[in-house]
Amino acid sequence: MNNGIDTSPRWSRAARGAALPLVLLVTWQVWALSLPTGSPAPAPLRVLKAAVELITTGGLLDALAQSLGRVLIGFAAALVLGIVLGVLMGSSRAVRDNLDPIVESFRPIAPMAILPIAILWFGTGTPSALAIVTYAAFFPVLVNTVHGVTRVDRKLVLAAQTMGVSRLSILIRVVLPGALPSIVLGSRLAMGVAWTAIIAAELAVGAKSGGGGSGGIGQMMFVFYAYSIDLNAIVVCMIMVGVVALLIDRLFRWLEPRLIPWKQ
Amino acid sequence: MKTQVVLPNAHIGFGPLRRMLRQRWFLALRAFTLFAAFWWVFFVWNDNPLQLPSPVRVVAALGSLIATGELFEHALISTTRLLTALGIAIALAVPLGFWMGLSRTAEAFIDPLIELLRPISGIAWLPLALFIFGVGNTLPVFIMVYVGFFPILMNTMAGVRQIDPKLIAAAATMGVGRRALLLHVLVPAALPTVMVGIRLAFAASWAAIVAAELIGAPSGLGFAIEWYRQLLMTPKVYAFILIIGVVGYLCDLGLRALQHVMTPWSEGTGLQ
Repeated sequence: MNNGIDTSPRWSRAARGAALPLVLLVTWQVWALSLPTGSPAPAPLRVLKAAVELITTGGLLDALAQSLGRVLIGFAAALVLGIVLGVLMGSSRAVRDNLDPIVESFRPIAPMAILPIAILWFGTGTPSALAIVTYAAFFPVLVNTVHGVTRVDRKLVLAAQTMGVSRLSILIRVVLPGALPSIVLGSRLAMGVAWTAIIAAELAVGAKSGGGGSGGIGQMMFVFYAYSIDLNAIVVCMIMVGVVALLIDRLFRWLEPRLIPWKQ
Repeated sequence: MKTQVVLPNAHIGFGPLRRMLRQRWFLALRAFTLFAAFWWVFFVWNDNPLQLPSPVRVVAALGSLIATGELFEHALISTTRLLTALGIAIALAVPLGFWMGLSRTAEAFIDPLIELLRPISGIAWLPLALFIFGVGNTLPVFIMVYVGFFPILMNTMAGVRQIDPKLIAAAATMGVGRRALLLHVLVPAALPTVMVGIRLAFAASWAAIVAAELIGAPSGLGFAIEWYRQLLMTPKVYAFILIIGVVGYLCDLGLRALQHVMTPWSEGTGLQ
């Protein structure tokens, strides 16, 4: 239960934490060594070798940069759309009544479900990927903005009105700061799903356009799967996807108290 | 923090018709009618039925898919995969979550591994899983189990951790055995949080199934939308997308109802 706070020294905790991953890695390596030579099965040491190759000569970092660039553009678009619409829906009952049923019916539609439509509309290049990222990131931003705006203390708004503050000023100085914690939370969630969506979009666009160039880390994984059958490289890409996801999450958690210092 | 009660459309007054105009279903109906109207205007303006068919054509396509039973068939396949995957994820994650929640040692050993794997999204497993399992039933189920596993595990752990130690102490004082403690104290106390985890897992799995079926399955809703896109039968693409939303919504309603039935003591605790 909650009564035993871990008082053991740091190194002991680190050692216990590393034990299971190490055992699994060694088992994996031994298993891979027992396979006949020429087997495509990935092994830790070969993955490491593939990682060095991909980073130095294989364009892994370029692919990552391309995917991240798409995520950032799509995320920025979703942020603008989500906040504008969210503030409108949060502050006006009429807008909320009319849009809420539509938003709620689109929300359970997975980003990947609109991929076929995105391909019909924008082809198999970057615009399709951007559309999917924007769609994926839009809902967390919107829902959290609406939630944040409706939770702003009404007394603050009334006080500002009493003092004759203009509507625009109230929006910028009262409503937005009040809703900011919620918006930042929505942005972190949005960035997480956007990163997942870009991998899915690049993978699927790659798969469905016969490897036609859309680039990015997802496309790279698909090429390793379908053309060069290099499982070690695929594992390297998977690890990189995880590392980037972790970094994005950490970045937002680091930013959070700096963006909203008044919320502890 | 409302200081005054403002009735929606209060200026309309009362009476049967007026009352109807304030109902939720009427507001939804009005919203959807407006949406369909905008859609239609956009369709006329865009003038490319391959990209955007008219809403009437989509409804007709939906009707024919229902009439031929094709829609039901794909929806059933996807839902079966989803339920199988959720079942497996629950069977794996709930016991592990209880163990990690109760034992600091188990947590110290297992948690780092979980935290290493968790950032790798289920989608990123697709190419490797495609190689291992091939195109078929196993691939989408594997991806969904992976995706659903983490929210259930995290919530089970959190649920076990936040159990009031006084409850356990009280049970121990009364000489309750380990088994009874687990069944009558720990499980009921953690269940509301576990159910929230299951709903999160469902939402994540439902988003992942589309991607998994789109790339690596010969059937299911995700497969169907991509299949009809390749055939350029756009109204059917839109109809299937609609159905993905509807089935997702219905499943969430079902899970909410299950939550209500299984953990009636969690009502009004903010976990609903």
